[in-house]
Amino acid sequence: MRGANAWLGVLAVVALAAMPMITGGTYYTYLGIIVCIYGIVAIGLNILSGYAGQFSLGHSAFMAMGAYTTAILSKSLASITFFGQTGLHVWIGVVCGTIIAAMSGVILAIPALRVRGPYLAMVTIAFGWVIWKILQEWVSLTGGDLGISSIPKPQIGALRLDTQAFYYVVLASLLAILALQYRLITSPFGILIRAIKHSEIAVASVGIDVYRLKVIVFVISAAFAGFGGTLFAHQQNYISPDNFQFFSSVFFLLAVLFGGAGTMLGPIVGAGVLLLLPEMLHDFDKYRLIVYACLILLTLYFLPKGIMGLVWRPRRRQSAVAEMAAHSFDEIATFPAIVGAELQINNVSRAFGGLVALSDVSFRVAGGSIHALIGPNGAGKTTLINIVSGIYRADNGNIHIDGSEARIDSMHMAARQGIVRTFQTLKLFADMTVIEHVMIGMARHSRIGLWDAFINSRRAREEVAQNFREARNLLRMLGIEHLEQVPATSLAYGHRRLVEIARALAVRPRILLLDEPAAGLVAEEVRALAEVIRKLRKIGMTIMLIEHHMELVLSVSDRITVLDHGAVIADGLPSDVRRDERVIAAYLGPSRAAA
Amino acid sequence: MYFFLQIALSGIATGAIYGLIAVGYSLTFMTTKALNFALGMWVMFGGMLTYSLNVQYGIHPLIVLPIVIVTLFAFGLVAERFSVYPFLRAGSDVWVMSTLAVGFLMIDLAEIIWGRNPTPVPPFLGKNPVYIGSVSILPQQLLIIAAACVVFLGLDFFYRRTLLGKAFRAVAHSSDVSSLMGINTRRVEAMSYAVAAALAGIAGFLVVPLTLAEPQLGTVLGLKAFAIAIIAGLAAPRGILICGLFYGAFEGLVSGYLYTGIRDILGFTIMIVALYLRPEGIFGKPQEERA
Repeated sequence: MRGANAWLGVLAVVALAAMPMITGGTYYTYLGIIVCIYGIVAIGLNILSGYAGQFSLGHSAFMAMGAYTTAILSKSLASITFFGQTGLHVWIGVVCGTIIAAMSGVILAIPALRVRGPYLAMVTIAFGWVIWKILQEWVSLTGGDLGISSIPKPQIGALRLDTQAFYYVVLASLLAILALQYRLITSPFGILIRAIKHSEIAVASVGIDVYRLKVIVFVISAAFAGFGGTLFAHQQNYISPDNFQFFSSVFFLLAVLFGGAGTMLGPIVGAGVLLLLPEMLHDFDKYRLIVYACLILLTLYFLPKGIMGLVWRPRRRQSAVAEMAAHSFDEIATFPAIVGAELQINNVSRAFGGLVALSDVSFRVAGGSIHALIGPNGAGKTTLINIVSGIYRADNGNIHIDGSEARIDSMHMAARQGIVRTFQTLKLFADMTVIEHVMIGMARHSRIGLWDAFINSRRAREEVAQNFREARNLLRMLGIEHLEQVPATSLAYGHRRLVEIARALAVRPRILLLDEPAAGLVAEEVRALAEVIRKLRKIGMTIMLIEHHMELVLSVSDRITVLDHGAVIADGLPSDVRRDERVIAAYLGPSRAAA
Repeated sequence: MYFFLQIALSGIATGAIYGLIAVGYSLTFMTTKALNFALGMWVMFGGMLTYSLNVQYGIHPLIVLPIVIVTLFAFGLVAERFSVYPFLRAGSDVWVMSTLAVGFLMIDLAEIIWGRNPTPVPPFLGKNPVYIGSVSILPQQLLIIAAACVVFLGLDFFYRRTLLGKAFRAVAHSSDVSSLMGINTRRVEAMSYAVAAALAGIAGFLVVPLTLAEPQLGTVLGLKAFAIAIIAGLAAPRGILICGLFYGAFEGLVSGYLYTGIRDILGFTIMIVALYLRPEGIFGKPQEERA
């Protein structure tokens, strides 16, 4: 299968390379160039919208940034003899255009990625609109509605590239961008990008600054679009604001969805079909919007994964992580020991409007112990775990880790200080395999940067191999190593619970917060869970267990704190707590307690 | 001062139109956390329908209005069923694209039916400006402001006093609980899209004599209304009206004192900055993430 795909790929590239000679006409070569350029922009958008799940309806603005930068720059540099003779003016323009597009990506991403969904779509639309208007109004720089004409043709040395030669440059660029997309998405970095599409909160819970990650992805996406824009300018020779309207932003998103969002080749296929389609239809211009609108609707209805989703069976082994599975690792290292931290909760209060969820809660969780937090529904357990894990802020009081006050402003801050949690309602990443979940948990400790990911450096490969070994050991400890290549959301419920725990363990937490881990498990699975929890204590981890399952709580806990109506009503050894009258009253009602 | 009042007042009339459209976004966002991204095209549809009935067939505006409302309401129901509901049910965000697609479809259909050439529609109350002191205003603009007030009061009454309106609010608060209480949430959701479409239709009916009847009539209006809904907060209908009026006045003043070209650049930039500073909108309540 793999070999066949490789051959298909080589065949496709050869066919594309031979296209100008076969068709013989400049017109088809020209179309080929445009398809490649739009494919490059669409790949940029695919990384952002397809893989990371952030819709942008303003990508033509980045294309415009690249196009106008290189047009203005290369035109003014051309008059300098040195540049004019070497052709460097064009390539400096291309580089600067890409950089300017990336920088404008930063400027937009900072406000835009604080919001999501329709808000994000609106911000990107507004940005596209603002850029488009500026291009029209800043006449002295951009030429206004008339645009910029006689943009220098690309040349290498003194050799001016004709359409056919430029086609090869653009085709090579497309293949390079495609390779970069592949490297990025299959790197450990790429696993994170794919994960934020499914649950940002779960990515934050393992210590990743999701906002920062999204900004980085946005900037890469903008840079790709800007690069496409620079090539576009040199191809067209003439650009105007009309090239970069709102509709072309919609076109790119349509190309991504139509071709297959979150697939490697989807954006190219989408851009190709949508650009060539009009060439085959007469009177197309009149019905352009109707055709595109119907295509959008049909795609959304019948091809939710686009054309590539239709012709390509999704490969289970999608990432470098999966590639590693083919090799085998014999080493069995035990999970390295951890020095569990002591958690001290001091006078924590929290109210929602008039409702007091927690009032003046204090207790201590000893390092390396299993500490259960129980209480009836509505007692404030979830609020407390949300405060400790950085989702909520306390109105009053503070939290100490190992005796010093911890500043926990966000989930990733909590994780970076060693506090990691699981979720009562599972937050797994659809389509991603068990081992990928574990690798996401490890990303926090990653030493490799974007550059390593792009060139797939030795350091990156070694780290992936190392992480893979550790991930396998971790799964072995939980008894689910045989499921490592299975998509987590297709597992049985009990196994999904373990995956959630595995992801948290991969962060190597000093304090692990388990939010109702036994919910929905059958008796046998609960016993296995108890075994796992005891193992973790043996490793040294501090465990705070929020649980309703009394049998589990009483069998594993070193100490129990009981909350009711937002206050601590008991705190002590399991044997004492189970006899405490206030606890019995809280659970069963006062009359039963008296009887 | 005279000039200031003059342009501020006519700006407010435009603002009232923005407000009418923007409330439509808010209605559906509150009930379904989704919205019709192409509401501007529905404004255009209302406007073109008004042009057809009023100019081509000579029907009196008072009769045109209910026809527009009923037609848009019905079309809104149909569009919701096909372009929003299937995707919301699947838990996907692609309604952004599907509602846009329906909007594009409407633009091209309008071009086929009515042609691309902009055509004037006579103002319903004549062309001669009325004077308030020395400030002049077109009767159509006064009509818009008055009509917007009536619609908003009507909406407020609907929300607070009628059973269906209370059901709307209940669904906006919690769809699951409402469903348990026996409210047909599905009907409320569909209705909210229909009402939003009808409001857009009213906006189109009111605005078309001031602009021209053409298929591109609503595109920019819809976008700006969306910007306003977001600045104010999608969950704050009253704030949206206030913001709409202010935004209209702001646009009038920028065009009057600076120049028209910079108007949208400033407006949209303000929106982006406002969203950065207050993601929930000026009038919205901050929401904390739930685990």
